[in-house]
Amino acid sequence: MKCLLVASESAEVLFYWTDPEFELSAQEQYGASQEDGERPPAFEDSINTLFAPIIISCSTMVDQLGDSYTSFSTENNHIYVLHQFDECLYIAVNGDGEESEDDLKRKIYVLKKLTEMLFGMVTLSSTLLRKELRPQDTELRCRVWRKLQGLLETYSRLRDHDQSFLVEAVERLIHPTLCEQCIEFLERRLVQQINTSVDRAGEEVQHAFILVHTKLLAFYSSRNASTLTSSDLLALIILVQHFYPSTTDPEESTPEDMDSASAPEIFYTPEPSPTDNDSGSERVEPDKPPVFQFVDPDIQVAVDSLQTLEVPPQDPSTPSRVFLETTLKEGFFPMMPHSMYCLPMWPGITLVLLTKIPNSQIAMSIYNFLEGFTKLEKRLAEGQQGSPASRGQLPVNELRSKIDKFIRVLGSSDIQAPFLQSVWAEFKNRAFSRGGSGLSKELLPWCRNMKIQLCAIYRQCYVAEGSSRQRLSTALQDRALTMVQDKLMDWKEFLLVKSKRNITMVSYPLTYLEEFPGLVHFIYIDRSAGQMIAPSLSITERATSELGKGPLAHFIKAKVWSLVGIARRYLQKGYTTVTLRDGDYFFCYFLWFENETGFKLDVVEIPSLPDDSAPIGMLACDYYRKLLRYYSKCQPSEVVKCYELLTVHLGVIPTEYILQHCSQLARKLWEPSRIPLL
Amino acid sequence: MNKYSFSSYVLIGRGDACILILWLHPTFNYFLLYDGSKVKEEGDPTRAGICYFYPEETPLEQQELLCGQLAGVSRCVAELSTSPVRLLRLRRSKFAVRMREQFLWALSSSVDVPDVSICEFLDQLISLFCFYNGPVRQSYQLHSRADLSAHWAKYLSHLQGGSTELHHIFSCLQTIDATKIDPLLLLKAALILQACQRCPLVLAGCILYRGRIVSTQMPPSLTLKVMVHETETYNQEHRPPANERSTFSTGGQSSTMTTPVFLNPSEVQALHSAGELCCFFSTSRSHCSPQPDPRARKSRLLSRTLSDTPFSEQDLTNSSPSASCQTMPCSHRSSLSDESCFSPSPGSSQDSAHFAATHQSEDSSHADSESHDYKLSNGITLSEVNGDSKEAVFGDKEETMIKTIIGSVEEGNSLTNGHHLTLEDEKDQNHEDHERHLHRPVKEERLDVGRRVLGDSPEKMWREENRTCGEEIDSELLPMVLYEHRVRALVLALLVEPQFPTDRTAPEEVYHSSLASLNGLEVHLRTSSSGAPGPPGPYSFAHYDCIQNTLTTNLSGRLPGPQDRSFVRATALLHSHFSHTYSAQEAIIRSAGAAVYGTRSAAQETFFLQHAATARNSGIPNPLDSAFALPNKARHRLLKHGVNLL
Repeated sequence: MKCLLVASESAEVLFYWTDPEFELSAQEQYGASQEDGERPPAFEDSINTLFAPIIISCSTMVDQLGDSYTSFSTENNHIYVLHQFDECLYIAVNGDGEESEDDLKRKIYVLKKLTEMLFGMVTLSSTLLRKELRPQDTELRCRVWRKLQGLLETYSRLRDHDQSFLVEAVERLIHPTLCEQCIEFLERRLVQQINTSVDRAGEEVQHAFILVHTKLLAFYSSRNASTLTSSDLLALIILVQHFYPSTTDPEESTPEDMDSASAPEIFYTPEPSPTDNDSGSERVEPDKPPVFQFVDPDIQVAVDSLQTLEVPPQDPSTPSRVFLETTLKEGFFPMMPHSMYCLPMWPGITLVLLTKIPNSQIAMSIYNFLEGFTKLEKRLAEGQQGSPASRGQLPVNELRSKIDKFIRVLGSSDIQAPFLQSVWAEFKNRAFSRGGSGLSKELLPWCRNMKIQLCAIYRQCYVAEGSSRQRLSTALQDRALTMVQDKLMDWKEFLLVKSKRNITMVSYPLTYLEEFPGLVHFIYIDRSAGQMIAPSLSITERATSELGKGPLAHFIKAKVWSLVGIARRYLQKGYTTVTLRDGDYFFCYFLWFENETGFKLDVVEIPSLPDDSAPIGMLACDYYRKLLRYYSKCQPSEVVKCYELLTVHLGVIPTEYILQHCSQLARKLWEPSRIPLL
Repeated sequence: MNKYSFSSYVLIGRGDACILILWLHPTFNYFLLYDGSKVKEEGDPTRAGICYFYPEETPLEQQELLCGQLAGVSRCVAELSTSPVRLLRLRRSKFAVRMREQFLWALSSSVDVPDVSICEFLDQLISLFCFYNGPVRQSYQLHSRADLSAHWAKYLSHLQGGSTELHHIFSCLQTIDATKIDPLLLLKAALILQACQRCPLVLAGCILYRGRIVSTQMPPSLTLKVMVHETETYNQEHRPPANERSTFSTGGQSSTMTTPVFLNPSEVQALHSAGELCCFFSTSRSHCSPQPDPRARKSRLLSRTLSDTPFSEQDLTNSSPSASCQTMPCSHRSSLSDESCFSPSPGSSQDSAHFAATHQSEDSSHADSESHDYKLSNGITLSEVNGDSKEAVFGDKEETMIKTIIGSVEEGNSLTNGHHLTLEDEKDQNHEDHERHLHRPVKEERLDVGRRVLGDSPEKMWREENRTCGEEIDSELLPMVLYEHRVRALVLALLVEPQFPTDRTAPEEVYHSSLASLNGLEVHLRTSSSGAPGPPGPYSFAHYDCIQNTLTTNLSGRLPGPQDRSFVRATALLHSHFSHTYSAQEAIIRSAGAAVYGTRSAAQETFFLQHAATARNSGIPNPLDSAFALPNKARHRLLKHGVNLL
């Protein structure tokens, strides 16, 4: 019973995702009010009708009381989480107890993050975003929704099974020698070759990395590139996992007690033939994103006309347009267009190239103009109706000349901007001419209008169909792929196994079981680098982890998942140390700050955030970055690093020993995490 | 655009502090009762459905807006989820919600109040209304909205009034500080209640002093309901309320009154089973036929407490007739003699002499009674109490009874009889059989309560909770009568069968038999409760008894410092954590300013903070960190408050 929807202020559903259970229950409810024999309406319509009262009430509350709903819960423990981003209302529902309120809130923020990555600054204009999320064209809408639904499902699967997505930090394959070799290879051979090739069509590789499932083997950024943030890297991994899901791993199977575990929900699957004893029949075909498989005739009826439309497969060599945060010498730009080439080397191992596209200069200008108009709006709203001589005048004039120049440049290239030109002419007329209103509040709607037009240009350049015609040639892509394949051929099998058992409790050089008797599990996170280390918790039928297999392993996995939630809850309220005796286990959580040399810095009072604040994490809304900034204000002279350690011990171990273990672990793990990203 | 700054959070952080300060006198932002059945057609105005809205001075437009939106959104969500809404959260406030039939209740508070607490408050509020007024639908048919609004207002102000924020976190009952008064008084109060119960029309009772519980036989939820009326009448002095049925013998400082009340079937059942338990104490209950000789009943059944034998005269004579005569010179054992056992100050010289005599004789008998040497927190051993009387007056069976009561007093200053916990089985070989009878129901009950508290799973518990409240609203409520006997600030409140007020003899008997004991108890409480609170110590603690719903803390009565505020904040967080995670046993949480230790079992939750300038630390795991010494410190420090964490 899960659902996530985005609605506009006029109660129109812009996007929805539901699991089959929710869809079925909604259909039943809607069907009850329908007359017999009448064909049930499209699911899209019924979900619109069902949620309309909530959506309308939300906007009434905002308008009349200036307060908005954040969550509902019912007596049978259904949870609804609501969040408004600009003019879009996001509603996430859970009715099966598998997700907490925090999980739902996180899902909403992740969807927001994903739309930002896919649509960039178009998301800044609700009017345009609405068109983008819900195109008039049914086929196009189907494609957009499918993609977002698939991304959401991929995210949910990773969050439920992958520790790196649980704590929202990137996990690296711990193999320093190979890692270094690969980085060198990416730098000296691959990136250099592509960037000097004539087939690159003006694109320039800025980042290249190799993923083994969700784990990072090597990452290289070219020298003039901005650093890739952890948030973006995590989102890109979701994208890669969406294209090439790693559920195809032969080790991955579905034990009975892991009901909701693996991604695709399959109903009434015929029994596998008796000889086929490992549930191979439930495997998903390699290159197919997980989609619902409706077999039940009742559900079959409910299938929306949208879903029956086949989406034409995309050309695999077409890059994905992604929008990433960049900090360049020109300044900070939150959503810069990039092309992402996702080249599958072998199942589970992927090479990803991120390129800077030739006309990205326009995005920078647009961002600056949007900033300028936002500042102007703020000033106008505050009522600073200054005379032309006031000091506010200068930026406006500067903005004016820059936009004039921008429009001239657009005109010289083949970008059509008639609306921008006319709105800008009107704006200038009102703001600067004698008969106009001058810089007053009357100008506010025109500022808004200008922003929409700027976003429209951005959309036209980077998001619209055919905007990514330019690309690295297919031959160049193939050459790159072959190069890396050759390089890693001998390592392939090793990498696939290593990704499942990255560090284990018995592995060299840290023999955890011997050195830390009673330690069940730990997660160590370097929040400054956005990286984590943890023993593998992969629970599969064939490969037993250190935790063994069966119910105990699942129990501990569930414990670890819930403990991360508890630690976040306390961190949100300003508590950086938590110890908890829970059943037969003892759980510790520590967060601390160090300077670059590893000197431990004093704790400071961390703000206690309200319940409706953004979720604690790095993927959607980077809490730790804010935390580091906040801390740096207290320690202005130093580079501050932030670390976290979570441990699970057996409860019978005396607390003194547990604490000793924790402190030794923190010291030991400090080194391995120092493998440089570059 | 992505402008990252923490400044807004800092502001919010400061805002939190402000909210906390306000929260010292927590106010509910809104409370509303909306009747959806009154607004069905398109044209029906929303105001027709508003049964009650707090604060009453809210403009009608705003009332309509809130009621309309909340009712609408709740109905929509309830339909989507096929289950009533429980909690609606907004950015700046939250609403606990109950939906039954066409009614919708919503109670709002600041976001800092834990979810469990605000939901608990709403349930209390609704059940209070039902307790005094009967089913909601029926009340609104019988009475005017204005009258009932006055009632809602009264219950709201009662729930908000007086107590500290800690009490609001746990939504617990207010008890008298048991460490400041003589435990004998608690014992005496318990015995007064037991004596009253010998009248077959009396179900259970409680004794309250200045709005705080001295002793109760009822489950916490019922005690809470009874207390509202008491507090109200205490505040009004002697002005009788509107729905009071009868008042008799309002002479001087002592008065009684009866009020019709309504109990739900499960409550009645609980009281009846507790009543049966009492039958084991008082076999004489069987003698108490509906119309016995009033005089005989009076002397035998109702006027005795500690020195009283609940068994037949025959039993008594068989066990130790001579001893009985020796300590109790008054052959008919009036209430006067009863009082003399307890009160050295007032009363006749004869009584004082008698008191002295008992005191002297106790030395000699002390040696014999050491087997039941119950140490109490103030150093008095309870064997002193039953020292000579046990030897002299009590038969063996009485001894068992006393032990049960003592057990209840000892067990964390427990005040209830019907719901006390005896952790260790009292082993008395002589009376094993009798004890089995005596303890079996108690233990079963305890298990039951434990189950309710622990719950097999959160869902189960949740359902359980819902059932209880749902029952209150949905099911047939059974009429009962609340009988109150006031002696200045002391009140004896009894839940009695509906026919009690009209019974020929019962009211008078209960009145006369308890009057003297109540007078005595009142004098003692008045003199002993005037003591100034001791130094609170360099720490803060809160000890919550989940079974009896009581709180012991050293926080009340002093101005909250910054440490106290962090303590309350951490306690609220830990309490909500514990209430969600049933396997959590103990936790230490630390921010830069404060480290708080919390521990819980099936029966209790304890929170502890050591006041100290926090040593500078980095937050990195360090076994020498002072925060991790908190459990030991708590164990040590809290022993003297009667809190045993071992």
